Amino acid sequence: MAEGHDPLERRLSREDLLRVAAAVGGAGLLAGRAGIADAARTQLLKESGRLKVLDWAGYENDGGQPMFAAYVKAHPKNKPQFSYMTNEADALAKIRAGLKPDLFRPYVGWVKYFATSGLVQPWDPKLISNFKYLNKFMVKAGQYNGKQYGIPDDWGLDAILYRSDKVKPKQRSWNLLWDERYKGKIAWFDDPVENLTIAGLYQGFKNPWDQTDAELQKSKNLLISKKHLVRLIWSSETELDNAFASGDIWIALAWPNDWVQMKKKKLKVVYMHPKEKPIAWVGMFMLLKGTQRFHLAHAYVDAWSSTKSGTWLEDNYGYGHANTRARPTSSDLLRALQLTNPQAVTLPYAHLDRDVPRRATYAKLWDEVKSS
Amino acid sequence: MPIAIVACYSFNVYSINPGPHSFTLAAWHDFLHSAQYLALFWKSVKMALTVSTIIVLLAYPLAYYIALSGTKRKYILLLLLLAPFLTSYLLRVLAWKVILGNQGVVNTFLVWTGLRSANHPISQLLYSRFAVLLVLGYVWLPFVALPIFVSLESLDRRLLEAATDLGASRWYAFRRITLPLSIPGVIAAFLFVFIPTLGEFITPSLVGGTSGYMYGNQIVDLFETGFPDWETGSVLALFLLGVVAVLTLVFARFLRAPQLKAT
Repeated sequence: MAEGHDPLERRLSREDLLRVAAAVGGAGLLAGRAGIADAARTQLLKESGRLKVLDWAGYENDGGQPMFAAYVKAHPKNKPQFSYMTNEADALAKIRAGLKPDLFRPYVGWVKYFATSGLVQPWDPKLISNFKYLNKFMVKAGQYNGKQYGIPDDWGLDAILYRSDKVKPKQRSWNLLWDERYKGKIAWFDDPVENLTIAGLYQGFKNPWDQTDAELQKSKNLLISKKHLVRLIWSSETELDNAFASGDIWIALAWPNDWVQMKKKKLKVVYMHPKEKPIAWVGMFMLLKGTQRFHLAHAYVDAWSSTKSGTWLEDNYGYGHANTRARPTSSDLLRALQLTNPQAVTLPYAHLDRDVPRRATYAKLWDEVKSS
Repeated sequence: MPIAIVACYSFNVYSINPGPHSFTLAAWHDFLHSAQYLALFWKSVKMALTVSTIIVLLAYPLAYYIALSGTKRKYILLLLLLAPFLTSYLLRVLAWKVILGNQGVVNTFLVWTGLRSANHPISQLLYSRFAVLLVLGYVWLPFVALPIFVSLESLDRRLLEAATDLGASRWYAFRRITLPLSIPGVIAAFLFVFIPTLGEFITPSLVGGTSGYMYGNQIVDLFETGFPDWETGSVLALFLLGVVAVLTLVFARFLRAPQLKAT
């Protein structure tokens, strides 16, 4: 203690100092936020042209579906212009071949691949006002090396849809997809990782997304040996829904929306979660590196992330939405997707889809199954 | 130019993947030693041969009737034959799903007539190899009938009159005059359907189900479905192109009208 200084005086001085610091900090913070908002607004005005979105068919509509109506209203001169991806590999091929969308939507299993590909850049969550409402677990799944490469939006499960008036499963298992009793009434989904992963889950492999060579051979052989039971390997939901509705198919690997659509058609259907657990997917908006419409892309994703958009998506598409405040009208859907459970996409409820280190190998083996 | 670019991809001179890449024959080597791709190619060849042969056999009498029966309505009949071309290819294929499905026109009719019960429709009509054969045949029938019609229409009728005057029966005249002179049209027709069906992928994907997977589908998958492998996809595409080119050259020598031998 320095001589001649009153301890009380010193304490008061510290308090005063803290007050001053708080006042200055708060003002600075406010000024900083206002500054950021102003800067963002300025940047938005500078950006021109229509926002180029590479997305799945069904999420388009240049006039603005309710999912992004707020964006279109705010930026009528920069309405989204869509091109289509049939899957992530298709998106990758298109971007590699020269297509330059501002943003696109792969699913969670591809976040690491794209983040390390040099094709995308991280988002700035501060520019997305609805970011704070997004499911924290899904937000984390969109990160790579601490940066937010994917903004989660729609999500759902891959599980088994079946006609309860025609099919009586012996057990709640993925093996319903190759039940001999229903030969010619089964549909698989045309995805290399999905099918080999399901085969891996069924056989109890340690990491179905990164199987060893021997495990992959076993999974491939299982699928080849069961393929004769399968009538259709679907690649579009319309194709599956038509085949299911017409009675050509009774059992299918399907998405929640297919269950919603079949219920609308008054079919007796069950969306079964197998005991090995369903696979959960989360759509992730990704931002192309070097985009000329950086702030517009953020505004578009912000519109998609709102509670209103999420509720509309759940009501009309039968998918979940990452916005935790969004709730569907249908209590059936609420239960089926466990929308009140923030961890519905991970164990013990489901396996969250993830990076596949040897994706090319999986694709090659799946081709062998299809051509067998 | 596009073919040259595809060739560059097949040799890894161009690559869709970033990073260093250089000339290699690896994809060609893998392809030529792959039982999977060659078996699939052979499956497509058999399918294309079957479709082409059946369609030529069906289209010939049709074209014969229109061209040589002397009907005044031949151009109206020809127009009717070509009418499906007025709608899109995709729509024509999709229409068959409505006809062949479990609740389609055929099965509904069979149930209505009591030939099948509603619980046991004929499932093999759709999502089967039969469906691919049927739809491809339907789609390409006009292409086959047209060149045969043209070759028969341009036939010198005086040869048939001379044969009749010399006492030849209609069957003998057909065998010795009409058929040989229409062979170029038949070969052209065969090629017209064989070449596109060999690389066909839309019809098999829509109505073929798991058993209708063809060589063309494999090419599409390599380019965009599983994980982009443009190197192998380019090899498959070039191999198909090469086979088609060789076939065209071989058959081209038969496309000239043959000289009839006097007997």
